[in-house]
Amino acid sequence: MKYLTGNACHRITALVAPRTFCQWFDSCCSCHSWLNVFLNRYLKRLALSAIFSITAFLIIGISAVPASPQARQTKRVAAAKSSVKTTPQKKAAMKPTVRVINDVELAMLLRRDPQQPRPLLVNFWATWCVPCRDEFPDLVRIDEQYRPRGLDFITVSLDDVSELTQNVPLFLRQVRGERIPAYLLNAIDPDAAITAVDNMWRGELPATFLFDARGQLVFKHSGRIKPDELIAAIQKVLSTE
Amino acid sequence: MRKMQFRILFFGLCLMLAATAWQAIGVASNRTSNLQTKDSGTAVGGAVADFKLPDVAGKEHTLAALRGQKGTVLIFVSVQCPVSNGYNKRMEKLAQEYKARGVNVVGINANDGETPEMVGEHATGAGLTFPILKDKGNKVADQLGALVTPEAFFLDADNKLVYRGRIDNSRDESEVATNDLREVVDATLAGKPAVKTEARAFGCTIRRVS
Repeated sequence: MKYLTGNACHRITALVAPRTFCQWFDSCCSCHSWLNVFLNRYLKRLALSAIFSITAFLIIGISAVPASPQARQTKRVAAAKSSVKTTPQKKAAMKPTVRVINDVELAMLLRRDPQQPRPLLVNFWATWCVPCRDEFPDLVRIDEQYRPRGLDFITVSLDDVSELTQNVPLFLRQVRGERIPAYLLNAIDPDAAITAVDNMWRGELPATFLFDARGQLVFKHSGRIKPDELIAAIQKVLSTE
Repeated sequence: MRKMQFRILFFGLCLMLAATAWQAIGVASNRTSNLQTKDSGTAVGGAVADFKLPDVAGKEHTLAALRGQKGTVLIFVSVQCPVSNGYNKRMEKLAQEYKARGVNVVGINANDGETPEMVGEHATGAGLTFPILKDKGNKVADQLGALVTPEAFFLDADNKLVYRGRIDNSRDESEVATNDLREVVDATLAGKPAVKTEARAFGCTIRRVS
């Protein structure tokens, strides 16, 4: 454990080597201060390179493996996700339906379909959040304007599950936001859900995130949106697709 | 000779590929950092510099005067935020329980538009007996990097930041599964290192002065 809390040399050797090696490395590591400086400065990049390689390896490996229970679960979530995609005419006639999701399903929703790549706008809100309610009409207008031009937009409510059929659909109907796919996040650990969206986000509401067609976060805003800023970001991402 | 040339060429090619990958990762990191618009404030492990803020009656207090012998919990609170209000009872209980153990709880209201009078009336109504300071210009919120209400910062006896984030995992007290703040304070009081130094939850944005 001592080696995990030490300098960069220690952290690396503790990960890859047994304790005896760490002790040997510790005795000589102090002599190589240049190595420590290098590792401390570039550890993040080295770690990123390693993560890229492992991810690529895993992707190749997983694609070769036949359908596992996890894959079936993924398909089930994808099927549930596609069931929300009904025609606008049909949706307009319906009462707004809000689907409960957990942090894993939220992460799935944020993934972009490589077959039909479309940028995704996500707004996190709650009925108890005044600035969230205030900005909603602007978001509905943006949805009406940019969905036909290729933008996907979903809203994720942080209300209590008891509001699933009460205040959440009621508010969505009031602001004429029935056509926007609506979800209610019910996560035991909010931290995992926050990380799935953006590791830099601290959970403040309202929060709006724009992902490009590859699922890369390209714009975010905490607090009430500034429509001009958001529209400029949407136009930019649509023009580059 | 030909073999030697091939080796040099191959080595050079590998070097170029490595350099390109290095550069690409660097560019990607920079692009991500462009989105990091919020200053994260005092880092965990860093010392929190002393500050001076008025209470709801206008009397100035310093952190040095309010801190507990064994540590201090600073909680950013709100008058109107339902999430913060959902924690009123839990915050008061925490303050009462830990005062006897040498840890003081101090509330900070940094919301623009919530006046000292409003904060005072709210504290009386909600039964909050721990001191609540008014951070009018968001000076301390900026210093600590507080963005949400409620958001807690636990400082040890040397004013070093040990933990920042949520009080527990759920706004609904009946669904609490992890008492993150309490676990960290208990560990510190027992002389153990904190297992978790940060945990987030959804809350209201602190309204800053424009």
